[in-house]
Amino acid sequence: MTTVSLNNLVKSYGDTQVLHGINLDIQSGEFVVLVGPSGCGKSTTLRMIAGLEEISAGDIRIGGDVVNDMEPKERNIAMVFQNYAIYPHMTVRKNIGFGLRTSKLSKDEKDARINEVSGILELTDLLDRKPNQLSGGQRQRVAIGRAMVRDPAAFLFDEPLSNLDAQLRTQMRLEIKKLHQRVGNTIIFVTHDQVEAMTMADRIVIMKDGHIQQVGTPFEVFYEPANIFVAQFIGAPSMNMLNGIVKGETIALDNGTSVQVPTTKLSENQQVAVGLRPDALLVQEGEGLFSGEVSVIEPLGTDTLAYVKVGEKEVIAKASGRTPPAVGDTVNLHAAPEAIHLFDAHTGEAIR
Amino acid sequence: MGIYKRLSISQKQIVWAWGLLAIPIVFYVVVRFYPTANAILLSFQEWNLLGSRNWTGFDNYVKLFSDPTFWKVFGNTFLYLILGTPSSLLLAFVIAFHLDKLRFMHGTIRALYFLPFMTSAVAMAWVWRWFYQPVPIGVFNNTLATFGIPQIPFLNSTTFALPSILAPAIWAGLGFQVIIFMAGLRAIPQTYYEAARIDGISAWETLTEITIPLLKPTIVFLVVFSSIGFLRIFDQVFNMTTNDPGGPLNSTKPLVLMIYDTAFNSFDMGYAAAQTVVLFTVLLVVSLLQLRVMRDK
Repeated sequence: MTTVSLNNLVKSYGDTQVLHGINLDIQSGEFVVLVGPSGCGKSTTLRMIAGLEEISAGDIRIGGDVVNDMEPKERNIAMVFQNYAIYPHMTVRKNIGFGLRTSKLSKDEKDARINEVSGILELTDLLDRKPNQLSGGQRQRVAIGRAMVRDPAAFLFDEPLSNLDAQLRTQMRLEIKKLHQRVGNTIIFVTHDQVEAMTMADRIVIMKDGHIQQVGTPFEVFYEPANIFVAQFIGAPSMNMLNGIVKGETIALDNGTSVQVPTTKLSENQQVAVGLRPDALLVQEGEGLFSGEVSVIEPLGTDTLAYVKVGEKEVIAKASGRTPPAVGDTVNLHAAPEAIHLFDAHTGEAIR
Repeated sequence: MGIYKRLSISQKQIVWAWGLLAIPIVFYVVVRFYPTANAILLSFQEWNLLGSRNWTGFDNYVKLFSDPTFWKVFGNTFLYLILGTPSSLLLAFVIAFHLDKLRFMHGTIRALYFLPFMTSAVAMAWVWRWFYQPVPIGVFNNTLATFGIPQIPFLNSTTFALPSILAPAIWAGLGFQVIIFMAGLRAIPQTYYEAARIDGISAWETLTEITIPLLKPTIVFLVVFSSIGFLRIFDQVFNMTTNDPGGPLNSTKPLVLMIYDTAFNSFDMGYAAAQTVVLFTVLLVVSLLQLRVMRDK
């Protein structure tokens, strides 16, 4: 099994630097998801690991060996592309077998590998079809099959679910996760969808503008975001963010209200951002953190999202799905003290 | 307008489509289909362009198939096709394949290849004819002389004349074929090549297993298109051998030139029409064969 480590990885196109020194250690058998908005450098990082992009500075180790100057095929990795990259003029069998072209296995061993992989991916009945006779999900499985058949040290996935519809994406997400539990190879998976990242990853790497923002388990990045960007990127709907100034024991918020928080790590007059996930800001009876008028409601079934005007600012809160508030109601919003996140307003870093 | 108003939207669209198509259809019937039918009719007749048309049955065809000149010309026409199509396609593909990877001066080089396609075939034929002249006029023979290599009688030899005439014809069509090949190459997603690189597929296998199969529609189009072009070759031959059109000793004469000769030098319109029908049949058969052979199974 194989570890992958990135050491001060830099990528520049001419004078423009797009990756500014990435450091990341991926354990053997780990499922790591690189996530971030478009242009954050996640795909570039993956393509550098694959050997499709030159490395401008720093190094990449796969299984302990520096692979900077190795051809993609020498790195013993396999990649699954967003558009599948399965060849339209070849049958499924030939597409899957294409990955074994250069291998030294005998014909029988190759056939055995192809049959084994197509069995795992439930492609056995489709082996003699051409890609244009397959559904999107089946094509995706063929692409995964071509990667698996070589038994690579690591799988690289470049937004493989983006071309699928919502329902199929949910299903393939689960299939890939099951596959990982079964075969146990190292997987590096790139996506822009935070739900995919949360649901599949052992560890999530959140990137923005060519920098890593936070590396952590789904639990860590959700409950202990390192900064405002991570806090707002992970979780939907996005975390409410209110600016304020520390005044004595309380924080005076710019919407005219104030919250009481433990201020041991804060200094008087420090400018902070107070973050509250909509999930943790509940519409309930009785005196709460804030109160305000409901401007819009979004029923989701189990819950209802209420857009509540608190002072000047609108916040999103969660209300009951069965007895939702009506537009125009004045409601009280409650939050547990541990659900309040504090960030430095200038640096954006979390204050813990 | 009462009837028109009562039609549904799709019926109105059909009325308009037929209305607009009627003009080209009438045009084609008058200038293409009628003369074609007339030529087929004429091939069974005798006519000197002025007198009356007399039925002769299959006489023109019998005469044609027993004419050794016809078989020589028929062979020449196929030689143009068999030499011209593969070599021009191979050349165009090699150029397009490498030009596609080139960024520096890409546009300029592409324009240089395309330029001959826009040039008049007559002017080009005369320039090439001048290239082929003996020392001290011709560029090629002058170059050979510089290196002490014996002269080649390009246009005066029964062996060299046909390839010498073919060369400018290939060169003229190259620009077009390069552009079409490049468009085909651009349409192949880059990820196919990236996937092949990751799988460690060699450059040669990538070419034969991925690029060429995916270029098949482009190749089919160009094969059919350029075959028709070579089977109908005329301008280059006529202009490069004006002293003895199709010479020396009919060694470069294609079918179109023979038709021209029969019709406008011998004024034997019926015989010329029979030759035209043969050419038409050959073109049809060759194109259909190519489409059938290269069609997806």
